Amino acid sequence: MSEAKKIEQVTHDWARLRRAAIGTLVGAALAVAGAASAHHSFAVFDMSQQKTIEGTVSDFQWTNPHTWTWVDVKADDGSVTKYGFEGMSPNFLGRRGWSKNTLKPGDHVKIVYAPLKSGEPGGTFLRATLKDGTEMVMFGGGPVN
Amino acid sequence: MAGSRFVSLSTSTLASGALIAALASVQPALAQAPSKASSQSSPQGDTWASIMKLPDWGGIWEVTFGGGPRGARPEAPALTPAYEAKLKEYQDAQKRGEIQDTPAANCVPNGMPAIMTQPYPMEILFTPGKVTIMIEAYSQWRQIFTDGRKHPEDPDLTFNGHSIGHWEGDTLVVDTVGFTTDTALAGFGVRHSDKMHIVERMHVIEGDKLQIETTITDPEALAKPLTSTRVYGRHRDWTLAEYQCQQNNRNFTTDDGKAGINLKH
Repeated sequence: MSEAKKIEQVTHDWARLRRAAIGTLVGAALAVAGAASAHHSFAVFDMSQQKTIEGTVSDFQWTNPHTWTWVDVKADDGSVTKYGFEGMSPNFLGRRGWSKNTLKPGDHVKIVYAPLKSGEPGGTFLRATLKDGTEMVMFGGGPVN
Repeated sequence: MAGSRFVSLSTSTLASGALIAALASVQPALAQAPSKASSQSSPQGDTWASIMKLPDWGGIWEVTFGGGPRGARPEAPALTPAYEAKLKEYQDAQKRGEIQDTPAANCVPNGMPAIMTQPYPMEILFTPGKVTIMIEAYSQWRQIFTDGRKHPEDPDLTFNGHSIGHWEGDTLVVDTVGFTTDTALAGFGVRHSDKMHIVERMHVIEGDKLQIETTITDPEALAKPLTSTRVYGRHRDWTLAEYQCQQNNRNFTTDDGKAGINLKH
């Protein structure tokens, strides 16, 4: 199936968009992003890549037009780098299983993201594994199960 | 390409996003116009008693991505040569990497028609002589005068235009003029003149779906009318939420169109 076909298939409702976001189909994840954000382009992100980091939440900004999740990531040499992840808006997420308390400072979190092209630490937030093991999706919203 | 500012993206990967955004936000007109009752005999919502006779549009409406049959492609706007040239100029600048984003990244609202297809809900209020559409995205609102007034002869040019409406049975017909040319007709590269004219036919189908058929004409920009149909799902249990775009906006577009992001925290 061509990527275009796959993308067409996920246009039809949020549930489909959400399933696409959970999957690893990067084009579909971008499609979800495009359909769901409407605020800016994804020119600054490398949507062809998915990276994963683990760290400690330092701040979860439940703000418009995007939530921002700030995570301190410790390297093997002990140095700490602060990453910033842009997510969907509180309006969107609040209707789909997230809340301002989903992530709290001090929480251990694993985040899958599409990195910034600039190489700066951060990117667009795709999904997360919370400290209790719950997997939460950003585009499309809500827990995986 | 039509329907979404995401048509402005230029790389091949991003083009996929443009495709889907366009698919998501514009569907060709498929449904027949609803039965046309005479507007003379329809309640016009000019009094509270008349409003009681209008259809129930309560709840919160959010655009769905299933307005037409699967795989339905959006109708491309048929542009006049002058506006086709503007679009080509824009697309060429995108290819050169000179335009990466639109003013929305700086929290400038979309204006009509794109403000009606944002991935955020809206609420429609009836008061005597007026229908108000509260749009969560960018905290916008539209007022549609149903008290029989005409458009101003020389309207101020605004993002959402000047709207008058009347009821034909259970269909609200909205006529809007007076748009600033700062906004886009379809994708951001598709511009319009100050003579753009939008007619929307809004009615509830299948109980919890609101269908809006939109027809855009523009004697300077469009060679023929551009029609699309979108369907909005009703959410009785939702309420509108605040959307202050400048609260924590870390995205930006520079004056020359470059996209950026602010990671200072």
